Parts: sequence; C-alpha cells; structure tokens
Amino acid sequence: MNRLVRGMLAWLEDRTGYRGLRRHLLDEPLPPGTGWWFTLGSVLLFGLGVQVVTGIALALFYAPTPDHAWDSVRYISSGVRGGAFVRGLHHWGASVVVVAAVVHMIRVVFFGSYRKPRELNWIVGLMLLLVILAFGLTGYLLPWDQRAYWATVVTINIARLSPGVGEAMATLMRGGADIGALTLTRWYAAHVLVLPPALALLTIVHLYLMRRHGISGPVRPRLGASRPFFPYQAARDLTMAAAVGVLLAVLAWKGAPALEPPADPTSSDYVPRPEWYFLGLFQLLKYFPGRWEIVGALIVPGVVGLWLFLLPWIDRGRTREWRGRRVVLSLFTAGLAAVVALTILGASDKPASQSSTWTIREQGGAVLALSSDRCVSCHGPDKVASAIEPGRIGKSANWLAAHVEDPEVIAPGIREAPKTNDTENKSMVAALAKLRTGPPPALDAGLRRVYTVLAQHCLECHKIDGTGGTDGPDLTHAGEKLDAGTIELRIIDPKQVKADAEMPSFRDKLSLEDIRAVAGWLAGRK
Amino acid sequence: MVVRSEESRRSALSKLVSAGLGLITAGLAGLVGLVAAPKASATTRRWRAAASIFDLPPKDPFTAVLADKHADGWYETRKEQVVFIDREGDGYRAMSATCAHLGCRVRWESSRQQFLCPCHGGVYDREGRVVSGPPPRGLERVAVRVNPQTSDIEVEL
Repeated sequence: MNRLVRGMLAWLEDRTGYRGLRRHLLDEPLPPGTGWWFTLGSVLLFGLGVQVVTGIALALFYAPTPDHAWDSVRYISSGVRGGAFVRGLHHWGASVVVVAAVVHMIRVVFFGSYRKPRELNWIVGLMLLLVILAFGLTGYLLPWDQRAYWATVVTINIARLSPGVGEAMATLMRGGADIGALTLTRWYAAHVLVLPPALALLTIVHLYLMRRHGISGPVRPRLGASRPFFPYQAARDLTMAAAVGVLLAVLAWKGAPALEPPADPTSSDYVPRPEWYFLGLFQLLKYFPGRWEIVGALIVPGVVGLWLFLLPWIDRGRTREWRGRRVVLSLFTAGLAAVVALTILGASDKPASQSSTWTIREQGGAVLALSSDRCVSCHGPDKVASAIEPGRIGKSANWLAAHVEDPEVIAPGIREAPKTNDTENKSMVAALAKLRTGPPPALDAGLRRVYTVLAQHCLECHKIDGTGGTDGPDLTHAGEKLDAGTIELRIIDPKQVKADAEMPSFRDKLSLEDIRAVAGWLAGRK
Repeated sequence: MVVRSEESRRSALSKLVSAGLGLITAGLAGLVGLVAAPKASATTRRWRAAASIFDLPPKDPFTAVLADKHADGWYETRKEQVVFIDREGDGYRAMSATCAHLGCRVRWESSRQQFLCPCHGGVYDREGRVVSGPPPRGLERVAVRVNPQTSDIEVEL
C-alpha cells in the first residue's frame, strides 16, 4: 500500500515537479527575529479566503434585481439552512478584511518595509486596499435595502463632483439616468466578476514580490541563522488565523447583519449611514460647505492617497529605525488619529430617528390591519391579495397611505372595500410603516381591545403617551383626576357630565364592553 | 530580391505578433466598453398634477409624491419623485426634495419650519435657501402652474 502511494507520488513528481514548487513555497528562509508582527498578511489572506467561500455560497441564492434582491437576501437569512450564519460571516468578514489590511499597512509603515527595493510591493498593497474597499462599496448595495440605496446615492454623487469627467463617471456607475435595475446588475457584476480576478492577480503579484525580495524582517537586523517559513512562521500564522476565525464565528453567530426595509427613494423617515469603515469619509463631508464640498469629497482623500503612494520616495534614508523617520511617522500617526476621530464622531452623530418601541396607535393599528375584517378581507393566504407579513412590506409609505384610504385605487371595482373611518386609517398607516421592521409586540386580550378602540376612535382628538390629536385633553394621566365610572359616563354621554362638552357621544359607536374596558384602562393611568 | 537575414525576419515577425495581440486586446476592450457605456437617455419633462389646491395644509408645505411609469433597462418600474408645494404670494412654488449636496431626500420639519437633510446635516429655509450645512446651493425650483379646470397644481418634471 505504502509502496503504491509512493509510486504514484513519484509519477506525479516526474510529470509536474510539484516537490520543487512545494519546497520553494514552504522553505523560504526568514530572517531571525521574524515574529508575530509578520502574521498580519496571512490573517488578511485568511479573511479574503472566507469572503470568497461565503460569497460563493451566497451567490447560490442571491438574485440581482430590484424586485427580488431584498427578498432573496431575506430568504438567505430566514429560509436557507445555515444561511444567516454564512451571511453573518460574509458581513463581518468584510470588516475583518478591512481591519487586517489597515493593521498590516500600519505594520509595514512602522517597520519601514516599503523601503528600497520593496517600493513596488507597497504600491501593489495600496491597490489591494482600494480593491478591498471597492468590494465593500459594491457589496452593500446588493441587499437593496434602505442603507444600500442611500449609500449608493451618496457614493455616486461624490463621483459626480470629479471635475470634467464627473457626470460621465456617475452615468457609468448608474448604468443609466437613475439608480435602479441597471445599477444593481452593474454593481453585482463588479462585485462577483470584475473585482475577484483583480484581487487574485494583485495578491499573486504581492506574494511574488514578497518572495522576490524576501521578508523585510525586524527593523534592526539580528544575528543568527534564518529559519524556514514552514513550520515555524506557518504555526504563528495558523494560530492568528484560528483566533480571528473564532472571533469571526462568534460575531456571525451573535450579530446577524440587519436587513433594513426595502429601498424606498421617497421615504423621509430614514437616516442613511454608511458601513463603519466609510464613516470617517462620511463625517469629513460635513465640514466642507457649499462649493468647498469637493475638498472633503475628493481632494483630502486624494492628497492622503497620493502621499501614501509616494511614501517610499518621500521617506528615504539609511536606516529603517524610528529615530531617523520622525517626520514621516508623526504625519502617518496624525493621519491615523484623524481617521479614528472622524469615525468615532461619525458613529456618535446620530440624528433622531424613528424609535423602535411601538406606540399605542401603532399597536392598535396593527391589530386592525392584521386581524380585524378590514385588510384581511382581501389579504390572506388564499385571498385575492397576498397576506400582510410583518417585516416584509415593500411598498412606500405614500403608497400605503393612499391604499389604506382608498383600497380600490389598486384595482377599481373588482371587490368591495371595507368601511373604515379616518382615525383608524391613520392608525393602520402608522402600523404598516412600523410593521416593516417586524411583528408587533404580543398583547393580552384586554389590551388588544383597549388599544384597538383607542386607535379607532380616541386618538383623533386625544393624546396618550405622546401620540394622538390635540383637540381634546391629553389622557396620558387620565386616572389622576377621574375614576372609571366618570370616564365611562363621559364616553357614553359627554353633555350629561359637562353641558358645553365638544366631544361627541360614543353610545352608538362602541359596545358597552368596549367602553367599560377603555374607561377602566384610562382610570388606571395615574 | 532582398535577402533578409533570419535575425531581421524574426524581429519583424515579433513585432507583427505583438501588434496582432495588441489589436485583439484593444478590440475586445473596445467591445466591452461599448456595451458597458450606458445609453444616453432623453429626459422628457411634462406637466403633471401634483396636488389639488385644496390639499395644501394651512401651515406647512405639502409633500407630493409623483409616480410615473419608468423603463429601467428590462425592468418596468414606477419612478417616484418628491416635490414640496407651498404658497408663494398669490401663487405657488414647487421645489425638489433632493438635497443639493449629495442627493439625499430632505424632509420638512414643521416644528423648526425648515427642511432638513438626514445625511450630512444640510438645512434649508422654507423658500429652499441654504441656512447651514454643506449644500452648495438651494433646493432646486420646479416649474409650477395651476390648472383652472381641475384646480390642480401642476409641476413640470
């Protein structure tokens, strides 16, 4: 048996010469003192490998069209075995790759590894960083959710600022006059067909040049014998990759990436924020008003980029020690500190957005929309229209408002619209907007009844917990002054309690049980 | 007859092969470029009803969403555009809701009586002039007229 295997390997060696290649790849002599700092490139390579494998898995399910992209990503997260985990790995893997690339770059700068004769490899490395960022940018358009859409609007408008060629570049990126189906296919093609070969080619060149000139080694060369890459440095690489792999798995397991509501060009309640590694650039844009915007959008990043590309020629000297390179290292550190500071500022600058708690109106409206005879008379598993599913409502807010107000605008005359009043319409519209984010909180039967009545009738004029109208008194603390009996009487016949009351009687509109339930609940609000 | 040496024949052929490879590469690149370059799209503006004069709220500008059939490559969709309609003197004004900075959707903040952009903090006053933040110019004005027959406010988009 053993002889058979040996024979086959000998045959393979004769036909391919694989042993020479293996020796060449693994037995690279490393200078003494090559330690943990030199594992960062391998960590990056590991991260890129994870992205390739998980990316292929995601591509089996993803559909790059405006009417299917969002649904297919939702399906990956909820319907594919292990899909949420794989998507989590790909999502967090992108961050790991960016961090690993930047830390690797910091190591190279502080070790002066870009010095002659390694200038060209430094440039190839910077090009790899740009390709990685391009992956990030094209990747997060693909889910076609709100963040995807608006981040792309901003990106393309930044490209438009480029003097002379801006408009042409923007059109090329959009694939047409507007962001839409043609933009999505274009960015998808870039993400899965154009960038991967570019990444592979640059990585091969990067590794080839690394081998051609050898590892730069510690800043101050040490005496001693060189040791082969395998297994000494390979063991360190593997340890680091395993540690990062565990971290990545925990992130993917614990923090599934969010899928925001589907892209909606008309929504006004969405606060767009880019992925964290673009937050610094995003924050920079705020500091350059008016015609200076091109400074923040293109000139500052451009100058920083050019400085980095020219670094091997700016920083020339005899030694790689820090003492002789104070100016360059201070500038680089200051730049890093600025990027970190801008990122933190960008992350902490959160304008007020929609809260994630459900108001009474939204909860009552959700009961009306999901389980009363209004919407479900047409929307359901075997009805004329598909069921209303929390978390996957794709229509825009304005469309929903128009449809709730007049269901027949969609298909006039083919079915009878349910009778509703204005107050409950408003509540259902509010609920539908909230239902985009997921299902409403569970309510017991008593609260269901109370919230439904409030959403149908009371909130038109009264405010409770900050939502509702202002024509009548605020009822947030109604129980402080009134007991249940008095409130009940006021609902049944307001004029009997107060002769000049403007509130109409609800005797004919509500059942006695409803009135009792609401009065009892209000009396409990102290 | 000119006798050519093997050397010069080889160098001539080398140049020919290089030129041939270059031509093939350029041809393929040109073809991809031709396909990838987007078609120029004709922008057609027309008058469209945005709101009824009775729709305008007493205190705030009206936010109108105009939807139109829109061919996006192979994909038929509805293109939705947002305009703000407001009273101005005896007539009306209409403004695009697209921020002049980087194209986010601005919204009317009734309590501050200003338009706010959620992206980079641009602020406009009720007439669409820049109050603060990065926008280089005010909100774009849209041509507006009233149709006397229907009492509709129409905008040219």
